[in-house]
Amino acid sequence: MRDETLKSTCRDAAWVVAVAFGLALGVNAVRSDGLPLVADREYQVLVPCPEVGGEAAALAPTDPALRDPRTVLLDARDAAAFAAWHAPGARSVPYDYLAPTPQETVREILASGAARVVVVGDGDDPDSGRELARELAGRGLQNVAFVTGGAPALKAALAGGAP
Amino acid sequence: MTRPAAVSTWRGHAALALLARLYLGGLFVWAAVHKIADPGAFALDVATYQFLPLPLINLFALGLPWVEVLAGAMLVLGLRVRAAALLVALMMVAFLIALGHALHAGLDLSCGCFASGGAAADPISWRTLVRDGLWLLLALYVLALDRRPIGVERLSRS
Repeated sequence: MRDETLKSTCRDAAWVVAVAFGLALGVNAVRSDGLPLVADREYQVLVPCPEVGGEAAALAPTDPALRDPRTVLLDARDAAAFAAWHAPGARSVPYDYLAPTPQETVREILASGAARVVVVGDGDDPDSGRELARELAGRGLQNVAFVTGGAPALKAALAGGAP
Repeated sequence: MTRPAAVSTWRGHAALALLARLYLGGLFVWAAVHKIADPGAFALDVATYQFLPLPLINLFALGLPWVEVLAGAMLVLGLRVRAAALLVALMMVAFLIALGHALHAGLDLSCGCFASGGAAADPISWRTLVRDGLWLLLALYVLALDRRPIGVERLSRS
């Protein structure tokens, strides 16, 4: 008896799907803004621009927070600039003005347990460090800052020792 | 052994299930309207989930809203209620899987559930997942326990 109801329920459901698709195709064929049954080209799935939402603090290159072991230092410059020089302990997260930073990277930073995230950029205008810092802050990271003047300023500060 | 039987034969289920059916059925009809009105926008919503291969997107986007309308109307009217509840439950399971996939991938997208207007108009979140889970439970309740559904079929038989 139960098998019988199950079977008839499934049969009814299959009928409904068949009728629905018949209706759908019929209506689609008649309407002027009908869709091709198979899309002829890839849909342009819009990935929203990295929304600059967060606020990032500015740190002087000589700020003692930079030497705090609980600070994670990120380098927003491209791989070549990073290879040429980077601050000790810095991690390369090249900032792309057009594409959002990979979720994976954001997750790794979150998982690192750092008390503070400081971004070093190219120091240009706009500064890639400030942009990355604001992007990360907008994506839920707390306590994000950037070094004013970027890598050149930080390099000079580190080389010169005390200001 | 007698307790489950007593639960399943309780006569109040028909009335309770009627409430669930009116709610779910109305919801599904309402949710389908914008999808039928603007199939292009809904197809884009489907594509954004990045779940279906390209050749299936349009077919799915065209057919699904009509299944929603028919199943929703059948729930409201009391026509082949179990078949309708089965379809609604299957759709909810499919939506839950797609949603979970999208949330896991961190896709910032429009749910496509009730409006066509991009992520800002109808965003997805973990709350969408909980909401859909509750609707699935309602559909399963109707499917499992609404033995003599109040509605057109029951009236025409008696």
